[in-house]
This record gives sequence, structure tokens and C-alpha cells, in this order.
Amino acid sequence: MTGQRLSPDRAPGESPPLPALAAIVAVARFQIDRLLTPPRLALAAIGVIFPTAVLLAAAKARDASLERDLGAILLYALVPEAVCMLGLLVTISPAVADELERGTWVHVAVRPGGRRALLLGTWLAAVLWTGAVALSGLLLALLTGVISNGWSLLGPFAILVCLSCIGRAALFALPAVIVPKRSLVASVGVALVVEYLAGLIPAVVNQLTVSLRLHTLLVRFMDWRRTLAPELQLLIDDRPPSAQVAAVLLLAVVYLAIAVAILEWRQFPPSEES
Amino acid sequence: MISLTHVTKLYGSVIGVNDVTVELGAGAYGLLGPNGAGKTTFLGLVTGQLRPSIGRVRVFGERPFFNARVLRRIGYCPASDLTERSATPREWVRYLVQLSGFTPAASLKRADSTLEQVGLGEAARRPLSTLSKGMRQRAKLAGAIAHDPDLLVLDEPFDGLDPVARHELVSLVRTWARSRSLLVASHLLHEVEALQAGLAVILGGRLVASGTVHEIRDLIDTLPSEVRVVSSAPRRLAELACGCPEAEAVRFVGNDTFIVDTRAPRLLAERIGEAAISEGILVRELVPGDRSLEGIFGRLVQLHRGVTP
Repeated sequence: MTGQRLSPDRAPGESPPLPALAAIVAVARFQIDRLLTPPRLALAAIGVIFPTAVLLAAAKARDASLERDLGAILLYALVPEAVCMLGLLVTISPAVADELERGTWVHVAVRPGGRRALLLGTWLAAVLWTGAVALSGLLLALLTGVISNGWSLLGPFAILVCLSCIGRAALFALPAVIVPKRSLVASVGVALVVEYLAGLIPAVVNQLTVSLRLHTLLVRFMDWRRTLAPELQLLIDDRPPSAQVAAVLLLAVVYLAIAVAILEWRQFPPSEES
Repeated sequence: MISLTHVTKLYGSVIGVNDVTVELGAGAYGLLGPNGAGKTTFLGLVTGQLRPSIGRVRVFGERPFFNARVLRRIGYCPASDLTERSATPREWVRYLVQLSGFTPAASLKRADSTLEQVGLGEAARRPLSTLSKGMRQRAKLAGAIAHDPDLLVLDEPFDGLDPVARHELVSLVRTWARSRSLLVASHLLHEVEALQAGLAVILGGRLVASGTVHEIRDLIDTLPSEVRVVSSAPRRLAELACGCPEAEAVRFVGNDTFIVDTRAPRLLAERIGEAAISEGILVRELVPGDRSLEGIFGRLVQLHRGVTP
């Protein structure tokens, strides 16, 4: 038999200071490169134009620019909700299924920390990609001047977009690792049941949703609290905005930690890897 | 280096590998078996993709599943074709090396040198989708060795390659295995023979033989084989064959054909031939059981499947 080296050669400077973080960034970069295809770019362009088109149609129907409050409600439904949800569904949901279909899962799974890097890197790519599309859509909508005093919405809505992407991408990572072959359908189910149903139940369960935090922040940013109907006040949280932001970040960390733990422990029989 | 102790892997009610116990030291090994024999499951266990349902798997003395220390020392080239479309071999290999814990600059350097080493230097910047199967196989191999592992595990690495590409890839792998350990799964014996590797034969999830080619030949010599004879005087020739000490049983399978069971088919065939010449009997066909490695492999498969000669 042949001789054997006992340890891999690694010259000084070849290892990054934070190898786990470097691997996550490498995956994110690779996933974003994968997204730079004509069909994906066309979808992104639709995501950018869609909110403006709807707002313009609404303004045309009213034959005037939209008042700030009405514009904010429409913009919230279109950007942090619709565009972010749809963007995340197509980027994070197939995180594992896509790798299995491409035959690349096994290449990644046999790397040290590869599974974790794959999930977190794909999450990062989904957040950056969807966030960029949603923020571009927001900017375009405000640039058209279709909402009166619209520029005052830029800061608050940019925060809502970022939190929506961070929190919901982490939420959709769960179906991506639990039912990879049906992750898209499962993610739609999670969006409807968790975000839109549980998020509207005034009980402990809605504390676990990103929706509650976004609704609360929207109400705070728009200063609607005092004018809000009593029954609607049940759907928002009393804690300050900083607590809402911290809650979304905490939810994202918890969801991602669970997803990583599941993925690290998952096994895919060879027959599934094609 | 690789140790499996009474390892069974179940996929629900389907058995992937069944009570396998094997010790493979440092060196080159071929894991041989027909399609569906459990080779990929065996490799999945060794490369930490799968956990055993029963038993213990150790690679470099440690459990490979969810173990970064072990995975860092393994390079794996799976059987499935690389369907990554837009990436170039350079981007793909750099990506994999980065996942193995190298800086982007070091990864790029290693990707370039490894692609050069596997003969893909000129095609390194072309999209993978535009490369031939042989070139994609080389790109996969480059991805598996670029982080400089101690153990290279290849699953059907020569599948679907033309003879030239196969020869080149065999040379590459053989050169690589001179200084490291190698485990190659294949259903084609000549591929494993070409790598001059030790053998482990897996059938129906069970490890049925392991050792050097010679050790397996010796093992096979203990198994019954046969000599098939077609002659103008089969009864007389069968009588003569029965007189040979190597013959264990004789049966007729036609008016002019008989088969002799033996553990020394070549020697018995020689004796029957000599007897036929001395008696002036016309022999139309005298076929000893195939003792080539392909024949041995075929015989093991037949025995495993319960096919009687």
C-alpha cells in the first residue's frame, strides 16, 4: 500500500480568522451569483416595479396623490409584506431542495461546517437579495411622488423591510430543512398560518411572529396608536420600538438555530440526492 | 484509518448496508459491487453524511458524522454529475475550498493549481454546463482534492467516460494515491484493478470479501466452480472426468454436453483435454469456470443471488 500524509498541508495565512463566518460569506456570495440570471433578474425587476404600479393605479383611481396614511398602509402591504414575502419564498425556501436537485448538496455536506454554512449563507443571500429588491421598490415608489410627504416614510419603511427580511427568511428556513422537497408549499403554509393567522391572534402565540412586531412598529412610526380602534389595539404590542427590533432579531436567531440543528442532524439517502 | 464494526444502515425498512465489519488501514482500496449493492451508503457512512442505524463507524479514529476534524481530512467526489450550470470550474473549486476553511485568496490559489494538476487549466474559466462529462468529472475531482485531504473517497469516478478520459483519470487518481489514502467505489472490476488497489466486495449491503486481489483469488478458490464440456462422446468423457481427483460432481445438460463441478477448474480442464486426446474423442467445447477477476466478481454476485450454476 502507499504511504500517507498525516495532516493536510496548510500554509500560514491560508486559514481565515473566523473560518465559520468566512464560509457563510462564501456561500452567500455563491448563492447571489446563482441569482444573477436573466429569469431571476426579471423577477427582481417585477418586484421593484410592482409596488409603484399599484400605488400609481390607486392614485389614478382617486385622481389625486395618496394621503400619507393611506399611502403608508398600501406601501406596507406591498413592500415589507408582499414583495418581501414573495422574494424570500423563492430564495430561502429551496435552500436545501435546490442543492439536492443540482447534486451539489453532497459536496457541501462533506465539508466541515458545510451544512451550517449552506443554510446561514443562503439565509444571508436571501436577506440581501430580497432586501435590495424591496428597498429599490420602496425608493422607486417614493421617487414617483405618488404619496404626499412620502419621503418621511423612507427611514421607517427601510427598517420594516430589513426586519421583515431578517425575521421571515429565518422563519422560512425551517420548512426548507424540515420538508425540503415540499418547502415552497410548506413555506406558503407557514406564512399564512404563522404570520397571518397566529400573528392576528391576541394571545401568547402572536409573540412568536414577525408580523406582530412589524404591525407594532408601523403603528408606532406612523403615530397611529391614539387613533387606533380598541379592537385593533389588541393586535399590537405595548413595548417600545427597540424591544420590537430586538424581538425580531431574537426570533431570527432562534429560528435559525433550530433550522441549523435540524439540518446538521438530517440524513438524505443516496436516492434523494438527485 | 477506516473501521466499521457491525454496521447496519436502514432506510425505513430498506437495508443500505447489513452488519458490515471491516478495517481498512492507510492505502488504496476499491469498493466493488453491482449497482444497488450498498456502495454509496458505505461511502456515505465513511464521509459523515449518514449515521449508522446499528454499529460503530470510525474514520481516523473518530466518528465522522458531524465531526469537522474528520471531515477536514476527507475529500469526497460523489457519483452524481455536477449540474451546477453557470459556475466555472474555478469558481466551483474555490467555493468548495473556502467551505473547507481557507481564505478567499488561498482558495483561489489552490483552485488554480489543482485545476492545472487535473488538466483543466485552460477550461477553468468556462461555465461547467459547456464542459464535457470527462471535464466535469475532473472538476469534481479537483473540488475533492484541492483542500489537500488525507483520504480521497471517489464514488464511480469513471462512469460514463470514454476510454481516453478514463485512462487519464485513472492515471491522475493513481498518482494522487501514491502519497495519500484512497477509497474508490465501482461496479467495474477493471477500474479498481487499474488503480492497483486492495479490494472490498459488497453485495446486497453485505461485505462478502476483502483483501488484496490475491487474497480474494485464494478465497474464491475455496468456492465451487465448474467445467463445461461439449463432446461427440460425452458419456465416455464424463467417465474419464469422474476419475480425476479434482472432479466433485458431474451432470448432463444436453445430449452432448455435461458439466463437472470442481474447485480447480483450469487443472480439471487440462486433464479432461488430455484424456480426450488419448481416447481420440472429439471435443467441441471445453470451458473452465472463469477465474479472472471479472469472473470472480460475477461468481460472487451469482452466489449472493442464489443462482445455481
